[in-house]
Amino acid sequence: MAHADTTHAPPAHPPAHEEETTTGINHRKLLMWVFLGSDCLFFGSLIATYMVYRGQSIVGPYPRDIIDVPITTVSTFVLLMSSFAMVMGVAAARNGNQKRLIQWLWLTIVLGSIFIGFQVYEFNLFRVEGLRYETNLFSSTFFTLTGFHGAHVTLGIFWLICLAIVAARNPAGRPSHLDVDIAGLYWHFVDIVWIVIFTLLYLIGGFDGPPEAGHAAVQGWNWVTGLIS
Amino acid sequence: MVTLALLGGVLILAALGCDADAHQSILSSTPWTLDGVGGPVAREQLLLFNVLLWTMVIVFVLVEGALLYAAIRFRRKPGDPLPPQTHGHTPLEIAWTIVPTILILGLGVWSVIVLFKLEPGEAIALARVEGKEPVRVEAVGHQWWWEFRYEDPLPGDEATKLVTTANEMRVPVNTPIIMDLKSDDVIHSFWIPKLAGKQDVVPTKTNSMWFLAEETGMYYGQCAEFCGTAHAQMKFRVHVMEDAEYKAWVAGFAEPVQLSAEATRGQLVFLGDGQCVTCHTVGASDVVDPATGEGVQHARMQTYIEYTEWLAKRADERLLDVRTGNEPPTAFAAPNLTDLSCRVTLGAGLVDRNRETLRQWVRDPDSIKPGNRMSELAVIYQTKLDHRADLTEAQLGDLVEYLSAQGSNVCPQ
Amino acid sequence: MVTITGVIPRPSTYTGLWSWLTTVDHKRIGALYGFSAFFFFVVGGIEAGIMRLQLVTSDNSLVSADWFNAMFTMHGTTMIFMAIMPFGATFFNFLIPLMIGARDVAFPRLNAFSYWTFLFGALLMHAGFLIGQVPDAGWFSYANLTAAPFSEGKGLDFWALSLQVLGVASLAAGFNFVVTIINMRAPGMSLMRMPVFVWMTLVTSILLVLAFPIITVALIELTADRQFGANFFNTAAGGDPILWQHLFWLFGHPEVYILILPAMGVVSEIIPTFSRKPLFGYPVVIFSGIVIAIMSWAVWSHHMFTVGLGAIANSVFTITTMLIAVPTGVKIFNWIGTMWSGSIDLRTPMLMAIGFVALFIVGGLSGVSHAVSPSDFQQQDTYYIVAHIHYVLFGGAIFGIFAGIYYWYPKITGKMYNELLGKIHFWLMFIGMNLTFFPMHYAGLNGMPRRIYTYAEGFGWEGMNLLATIGYFIIVISLLIFIHNFFRSIKKGEEAGHDPWDAPTLEWSISSPPPVYNFAEVPVVRGQDAYWITKREAAARGETVPAEPHVDPDTIHMPSPSYWPLITSFGVVWIAGGLLIDVGWDYIRFPISFIGGIITIIGVIGWSNEPAAEEHHEAAGHH
Ligand code: HEA
Ligand code: HEA
Ligand code: CUA
Ligand SMILES: [Cu+2]
Repeated sequence: MAHADTTHAPPAHPPAHEEETTTGINHRKLLMWVFLGSDCLFFGSLIATYMVYRGQSIVGPYPRDIIDVPITTVSTFVLLMSSFAMVMGVAAARNGNQKRLIQWLWLTIVLGSIFIGFQVYEFNLFRVEGLRYETNLFSSTFFTLTGFHGAHVTLGIFWLICLAIVAARNPAGRPSHLDVDIAGLYWHFVDIVWIVIFTLLYLIGGFDGPPEAGHAAVQGWNWVTGLIS
Repeated sequence: MVTLALLGGVLILAALGCDADAHQSILSSTPWTLDGVGGPVAREQLLLFNVLLWTMVIVFVLVEGALLYAAIRFRRKPGDPLPPQTHGHTPLEIAWTIVPTILILGLGVWSVIVLFKLEPGEAIALARVEGKEPVRVEAVGHQWWWEFRYEDPLPGDEATKLVTTANEMRVPVNTPIIMDLKSDDVIHSFWIPKLAGKQDVVPTKTNSMWFLAEETGMYYGQCAEFCGTAHAQMKFRVHVMEDAEYKAWVAGFAEPVQLSAEATRGQLVFLGDGQCVTCHTVGASDVVDPATGEGVQHARMQTYIEYTEWLAKRADERLLDVRTGNEPPTAFAAPNLTDLSCRVTLGAGLVDRNRETLRQWVRDPDSIKPGNRMSELAVIYQTKLDHRADLTEAQLGDLVEYLSAQGSNVCPQ
Repeated sequence: MVTITGVIPRPSTYTGLWSWLTTVDHKRIGALYGFSAFFFFVVGGIEAGIMRLQLVTSDNSLVSADWFNAMFTMHGTTMIFMAIMPFGATFFNFLIPLMIGARDVAFPRLNAFSYWTFLFGALLMHAGFLIGQVPDAGWFSYANLTAAPFSEGKGLDFWALSLQVLGVASLAAGFNFVVTIINMRAPGMSLMRMPVFVWMTLVTSILLVLAFPIITVALIELTADRQFGANFFNTAAGGDPILWQHLFWLFGHPEVYILILPAMGVVSEIIPTFSRKPLFGYPVVIFSGIVIAIMSWAVWSHHMFTVGLGAIANSVFTITTMLIAVPTGVKIFNWIGTMWSGSIDLRTPMLMAIGFVALFIVGGLSGVSHAVSPSDFQQQDTYYIVAHIHYVLFGGAIFGIFAGIYYWYPKITGKMYNELLGKIHFWLMFIGMNLTFFPMHYAGLNGMPRRIYTYAEGFGWEGMNLLATIGYFIIVISLLIFIHNFFRSIKKGEEAGHDPWDAPTLEWSISSPPPVYNFAEVPVVRGQDAYWITKREAAARGETVPAEPHVDPDTIHMPSPSYWPLITSFGVVWIAGGLLIDVGWDYIRFPISFIGGIITIIGVIGWSNEPAAEEHHEAAGHH
């Protein structure tokens, strides 16, 4: 840094359009990455809560009475397929194929909605079978975690609908590849979170019963302290 | 200058600390020595703290000294040229990373060693050496008073039974005491500064800690975790007694007290109009309930035992409706009064206990302790507009006599 | 495109109230943040005064127990979330674009949204005062004291929901600054040429972005318990109150570094300037900041030594916590190294910065003594802790903030503050601060628990408390002098010129106060301490560098003002506020929340359909 002249660059371009950025990554795309990093901690904390309270409910219904793994496997598959559709949509946007883009977007939307449909069905079924939000620890943690995931998916669906409408009304290169790409990032993230949830809440935790007699309160933290000690 | 001022401040404050009032102090009565602490646990902690303190004072003097020296020595004078533009010095950076690291790891290792000495297992080992058994006391935190339960107050003595007292616990001298800490409502923290550091009292779990008092006398304790309105007044006392005195106190729980005529009338108020018995237990002077033929206090005690069992097992009890099921078998919400006349204070360490304060307490607890649960729960405080006890002056007098008699066999007035 | 934006004409004034409500200029938003933060600092300070008056002697009965509990809860919450954090945001907003040579932040409207959401959240929290429902469970509101049976009324609902809103504001600001710093640096400003303040802002913003979701979840759980009957902290259903503590402190410890790192950044700018030397060990200072941020994730349980996690966990957290002293110490040593054989000008900003270092050391050392868990069993929840937090928060963060206020005052206002008054302010605040908080160390070791609304006589605590109360009033006087100096100098102060301190960073190369567009031409950065390089090269040629000339603003495109951030924030705060008004009708239990949600959605739609800069208003906009 011994010598340096602060000659001035040519006047900057107005910031309204796709700006030049230091890293070359678009502002909005970087924003999405940062947001997703933050969201990881959000879901991480909810999942941690669930895991701490796993098998701690002192009244039923317990997961083993109520969780239906096969049905949720189907809905998980549907959500995975929606991610595939999203990938195809992003590719279409990159190639500037507006018609394909619209088709793939709608397919993603429909698959996402089917997933939400499954979730509504599941929530309703649980309610009928006596698992209300306030019933026990399982219900509180389960509904909160999957509910917030569902809200993320729903938000994503609305977002994609907006994109699809814009694409249909405005065939001249809008939404841009970038717009679709950012929505895609979000959609895939929400999808990945579901994989984690599905694994932990259904495949692993789906057969939990009441706490084993005796050390009820201590048990939940064992896996945490186990990590430390 | 700043350094000196601060250091001077430390010393002045230390000197202030010499006063005899420092009975809830963590520090020793003569500064920077280990005198005046009540036992080994606090002594370990004080020793560690003193070493820390002096290390920190040295670090403080060195670093603040350097800072001050630089600020004064290198002041700008008019016409000074641009100082040499140094950008850093790698060996220096390494040095001042390594030296603190070593210091810290040293202190860290010591703390870990002390930490393990404070585990309850240590108490059992210590007791073995002396050929004694530790006394286990269960402390239950309630908003805003303490309950002390001794399942086995004289270890090894088959005959003794459950002893329960409140706000003032009694322990034998030179015996390791293991505390099992439970909470009935929110988080509290059990702390006797002169004897041991604090341990939180957490609902849903039982924490344990230990201490040993080397001298007889009274020690101050205090709830140290904010627990609501009267947290400031959730104090307690620990009376450390000679073995014989302690035994007598325990035995007193099984022996009925002599009641004067007034006190006998007072007993009727306690059981009848006052409805005190709905919540309080008085163990030693039982009367028989004509309706059931059972000792009233005995029944009360029975409920109490059931209640504590329920507390312990509450997690397993599946029959509870979770929304509303916070009810124990029978509400048991108030201090056991069996050894009341042994206690020096009322209202969890708030005022001295004597006939006047007792009377005032019964008549209008809020005037002594704002936010207390007694006036909230007991029916006699709900019937009158001014929320005072719905009792006549005569009834009050009798009741105070009766209460003052409790424990008079072991703790004569 | 026919959009909702067509309905309301876009705001186009740059003066008057409306221009402040709709501004997206980072400098104006910075000023808004600054005034709001100072306002809440005074509110928190007055709450502290009530506590100090109550505690001035034993058995005092100025206020009731419940009121005192509300006071320390609101004092802690206000100071941390509504004073120090927005003070940080003040500096981020005003300085970051200037320091990296940018015209604005990456998302100007998101920035406005952050500010309004912060303000509304803070007002919502204080609205509880109006209806006598004040939060009273302490600034970390441990479960299960916050569970419905133990905390009646709406106080804690106000607390949880408003904090949630404040969290949204902080998160939005965090996102914005991460992107701004990574993506909007002037040509040539590589990461290792960024001013340390920019680095600390980046680190702080990343901490924010990662820490706030955790408390968001904790608050969601608390709200779910209180509003919808969930069981997260319901012990009767097996809920574990310790879970709250883990979540809170997993957020809370990074949070304390969120509070201190900006101040450290400020000090790292001031000390070199007033010593006329580059920062000693620039890369090391930055690296230690990063290390502190990383380590802050591994120490949270040092707030929980007494809850009974067991000796093994306590050992681990003892060591990790103590080790944080190493990178922090490295920073301190490098600051002293910068001053060493420099040419030190003891102007007010420098005094404040030295005060920061001196006091932070005290707080840090007592922090290390808490980290030693066996010893902490005695200290925890006593005034010894209260002393620690005020040495790091008042002696640290607040001194750093005042250092920054004095340092950048000429840049922000174009005027010079009164030096004599500044120095009086410093000395009074320094003395008052030590008089208030130093005795607390001793009171704590002498057994005085914190959060007690009164104490009996005979414990030997009266003297310490009297000193503390006297100290408080000295602080008040010092702050009144500051307020006077601040406003008087805006009106009557001397013209400061663009570079009164001969400072090294880019913001000093433009006129004071900076024009709307900041830099007429985007600077090219050729090294660390860019502006020093320019000036010293010029000096070698026997020239002086003038401030950048003003240019016609119409030739520069700037983002246009917008209503939408304000409207969106307004919606957001009513989503939260509406949850306080439960009509108990099954279908729509919370109608106001619902309306708030609709306003938010309208806001977002309007926002996303509105271009960032309105082409045809541009020319008319400026006067
Ligand atoms: C700005 C905020 C801030 C900062 C920076 C810190 C910094 C530190 N804090 Fe503090 N802390 C708080 C704010 C802060 N704290 C608050 C608000 C609470 C209370 C919460 C509540 O209960 O309400 C708290 C409570 C708190 C506790 C819990 C106490 C208890 O409740 O029992 C502990 C325990 O370990 C702790 C430790 C530390 C340590 C080790 C540091 C370290 O980062 C300090 C490092 C600095 C130095 C050590 C000084 C400089 C170093 C040198 C000169 C090098 C040489 C030094 C050595 C070799 C030792 N803090
Ligand atoms: C940034 C953080 C910060 C700051 C700056 C302060 C500043 C102060 N604090 Fe604070 N404090 C905390 C953070 C902070 N505190 C926290 C986190 C807690 C823990 C809370 C809890 O336990 O939950 C706490 C707790 C706490 C307690 C312990 C309460 C208890 O445990 O019972 C006390 C007691 O004295 C106290 C006192 C003070 C005082 C006297 C100041 C003074 O320095 C204040 C000085 C400020 C002013 C004086 C404002 C300026 C006022 C004017 C200019 C007035 C004039 C104007 C008009 C009247 C119009 N604080
Ligand atoms: Cu019990 Cu504080
Ligand atoms: Cu911490």
